[in-house]
Amino acid sequence: MPVLRSLFLMLLASVSAAVAQGAPDREHRVKAVFLFNFAQFVDWPDSVFADPDEPLVVGILGDDPFKAYLDEVVRGEKVNNRPIVVKRFRKVEEIKDCEVLFVSPSESPRLEGILSSLKQKHILTVGESEDFQRYGGMVNFATEGGKIRLKINLEQVQEAGLSVSSKLLRLADVSGARRE
Amino acid sequence: MPLRNLRLQQRLMAIMLVTSACVLVMTCAGFFAYEFLTFRQSMVRQLSTVAAIVADNSTAVLAFEDRKGAEEILSALKAERHIAEAGLYDGEGRLFSTYPKDADPGEFPPAPAAEGFRFGGGYLQGFQAVVQNDKRLGTLYVKSDLKAVTARFQLYGAVVVLVSGLAFLLAYLLSRALQRQISGPILALADTARAVSDRRDYSVRARQAGTGELGLLTDAFNQMLTQIQGQLTRMELLNQITRAISERLDLTSVFQVMLGALEENLAVDFICVCRYDADARLLTVTSVGAKAAPLAEELGMTANARIPIDDGLRQCVGGQFTYEPDITNLRHTFTDRLADKGLRSMALSPLLVDSGVFGILIAARKVPDGISRMDREFLRQLSDHGALAAHQAHLYGALQQAYEDLRRSQQAVMEQERLRALGQMASGIAHDINNAISPAALYTESILERETNLSTQSREHLQTIAHAIEDVAATVARMREFSRQREPNANSVPVQVNKSIQQVIDLTRSRWHDTPQQRGIVIKIKTELDPGLPPVMGVEGEIREALTNLFLNAFDSMPEGGTLTLRTRKGKDKDVIAEVSDTGAGMDEETRRRCLEPFYTTKGERGTGLGLAMVYGVAERHGAELQIDSAPGKGTTMRIVFPEAEEAIAERQAPEAPAAPLRLRILVVDDDPLVAKVLRETMKMDGHEVATANGGQAGIDTYLTARKSGAPFDLVMTDLGMPYVDGRKVAAAVKAASSATPVILLTGWGQSLLEDGDMPPHVDKLLSKPPKMADLREALASLAPKKTAGGIPA
Ligand SMILES: Nc1ncnc2c1ncn2[C@@H]1O[C@H](COP(=O)(O)OP(=O)(O)OP(=O)(O)O)[C@@H](O)[C@H]1O
Ligand SMILES: [Mg+2]
Repeated sequence: MPVLRSLFLMLLASVSAAVAQGAPDREHRVKAVFLFNFAQFVDWPDSVFADPDEPLVVGILGDDPFKAYLDEVVRGEKVNNRPIVVKRFRKVEEIKDCEVLFVSPSESPRLEGILSSLKQKHILTVGESEDFQRYGGMVNFATEGGKIRLKINLEQVQEAGLSVSSKLLRLADVSGARRE
Repeated sequence: MPLRNLRLQQRLMAIMLVTSACVLVMTCAGFFAYEFLTFRQSMVRQLSTVAAIVADNSTAVLAFEDRKGAEEILSALKAERHIAEAGLYDGEGRLFSTYPKDADPGEFPPAPAAEGFRFGGGYLQGFQAVVQNDKRLGTLYVKSDLKAVTARFQLYGAVVVLVSGLAFLLAYLLSRALQRQISGPILALADTARAVSDRRDYSVRARQAGTGELGLLTDAFNQMLTQIQGQLTRMELLNQITRAISERLDLTSVFQVMLGALEENLAVDFICVCRYDADARLLTVTSVGAKAAPLAEELGMTANARIPIDDGLRQCVGGQFTYEPDITNLRHTFTDRLADKGLRSMALSPLLVDSGVFGILIAARKVPDGISRMDREFLRQLSDHGALAAHQAHLYGALQQAYEDLRRSQQAVMEQERLRALGQMASGIAHDINNAISPAALYTESILERETNLSTQSREHLQTIAHAIEDVAATVARMREFSRQREPNANSVPVQVNKSIQQVIDLTRSRWHDTPQQRGIVIKIKTELDPGLPPVMGVEGEIREALTNLFLNAFDSMPEGGTLTLRTRKGKDKDVIAEVSDTGAGMDEETRRRCLEPFYTTKGERGTGLGLAMVYGVAERHGAELQIDSAPGKGTTMRIVFPEAEEAIAERQAPEAPAAPLRLRILVVDDDPLVAKVLRETMKMDGHEVATANGGQAGIDTYLTARKSGAPFDLVMTDLGMPYVDGRKVAAAVKAASSATPVILLTGWGQSLLEDGDMPPHVDKLLSKPPKMADLREALASLAPKKTAGGIPA
């Protein structure tokens, strides 16, 4: 059905145009892809999902630096047969079902409170500020020489009941004790 | 060199080595092919495994765009020596990272192609997807050189060469050792065969080689040698015997040699040769083997015993070799005869020549089936040779006999020729002497008669002359007896020779009884006369005279006395034989040869030498043969063999006819005037009155006219073949007029008509043309009407 398909693509283009209130910078485009890729390398406990089809939620707390790009990235993708949904939260209290949560730099002042409230929630927390990990953030994007480096606090990750693939750990700067 | 020209050992080894080489090559080829295929597969598998591992490790670096990490991961491929290049492509198909790190990106495929690995361009290369949790993150490209394959196959090649070499060496050593199992016995056999053929020594034997096929072969070979050896021995023997018998020229010794050889070389208990008489269906034992003689005595089969042919012998006398392994139950007369004396097996071999079976060879043994096949064959062959030799001996005898007969008859002819010449001379002399002494005798006689005034002395002289002339006349008379030719008209009558002998014994009494007794000498006379002796035809006086001469000669030869034996008997073909035998001095060779010659004598003045000449003349005239058996000191037998009397009678009947002279009126009818004239002249000379008629009708007319005129013909002689009226018609007409008038038919076919016994009607006698005087006379005499005999006035 080439006609249908082209129609659909046209529709898709108009929607993304509508969503994008402006394109993110190259750094945040990469980070958006990484955010999605975390879902590939991290395992959540089964209890997180009520049923097998329940979508995996990538949430953004605070201002969204990715604009509509993240939606573009996850559109149509699946992790372990689960569709991926992007949710944007204004407050910590709004977060109910969420697997990966990007904590926007806009939330830096309230960081300590946010992170501690998410502690028991099996949420992989991702941030991009200097002191994100100091307050218990799990994964931090650090920019060194124009390159994005991943920093992972393994202790925090494990405490949240998540397991990170060794492949991911190998290319990240890992801190925190490893529970063997 | 072709395989078949190699020696057996090399051949066997070559076969085994070629076989193992083939097996090795096939094995190696299979091994290589298998390795080639499986190694490529395993190479692909290995490379894809490596690629899968690397791809799996590459997920995160691709996901998080970690080039350094990617380089690290790819550099791990260093461990795989043969991987020449590798490259990671990201999700968009862009080359993300390469191995080696500083490889020229231009060498890499510009974009990832379909997954999987394939050989090509001297490399094995392909793509492996990089996937994390079903998410395709990129593609790994790997390219491996094929040095591994080459290295691998180099190694394999070395191994194969080594193993093959070792295997071949082993095969060589094994085949060398194993081929002996087969070639050993065969070579031994070949050696034996060579020894046999080189040295012609059939006594060697091949070494035994177990019980397999080779063993059987050796057995068969040895057995063959045994048979050849046996055959050779037999052949040599046969040769010997054949040579021995071919030297013999009489049957008995041929058979004796044959039987002797058989007894010596064959296991037989009884052996003999019999002659076969096909007409009488009899076998006559001719020779018996020396060792078999006692058994032959028991069997009643000694020399000259006769055996009638029964069913048991029939086949053999029919010309077939017969062998009976056991004769006990055959129930033939002959076989039972042998079986009774304990004989069990018997072979009968016919003695054959072209004309058929003339004898058989009988061999028997006391054990059942005791005559082996080889022995039988030997018997058969020997019989053939024996038969041939016997036949030859027989032919030789016949030849000898024929030669002897020829020589004797030639001698007799010569003798006769000589005597005939002598006889002619003697008769000439006798004639001349008679002529010469006739005047002397006549004058002497007339002077003695008429001249009375002769002196006593003259008269005595004249009387002496007269005696001398008488002596000469007597001698000439005896001489003529010898030389006188046989005269057909001689007065032959049947003579009883026995009677003549008796008379001569009486006549010569003084010579064998009176005179010798006076001198004290005894001469015995013995007679063995056949009382049933038929008479012979001859002149009695001559026969008596001849016998007298033989008697006198016999007495002369026995001056000291002895026995005179007189024998008569019938010889073969009804001959009559008279023999005069004495026990006197006998004759030496020269005398015996010349005694028949006139004037040959060994008695000097006392003999004239005309005695036997006269006897010979008499014998000649009687158609008899004079035989002389004599040797110095052994006495002499003189034998006169008179011919068959019947023949003599028939021959001598003719001269009886002219006893009474005939004068007949004869009519000759012939269409040939010359023949008629000759007949007329001839018969006229005998005193007959002869008229001729030219042709059949003229003949009949002449006969009837003469009859009417009262002067009938006594006899008519007519030709057979004449135009119009032939001889038969003439005869019929004559007989119609006077049935008593005899008719003689003259014919050019007379002889054949006579032989056919086809006497035409009305004809009394057939005479063939030209008629002989004697036949003519005889015919006239036999047919002359009795009442008119001499009826014509002289
Ligand atoms: N029965 C005989 N035994 C030995 N010699 C014989 C006998 N008959 C003949 N002869 C020999 O043959 C010779 C010839 O014999 P033949 O009768 O012809 O003459 P002959 O006896 O000598 O004289 P002739 O008979 O005239 O008195 C004899 O001289 C004698 O040597
Ligand atoms: Mg004499």
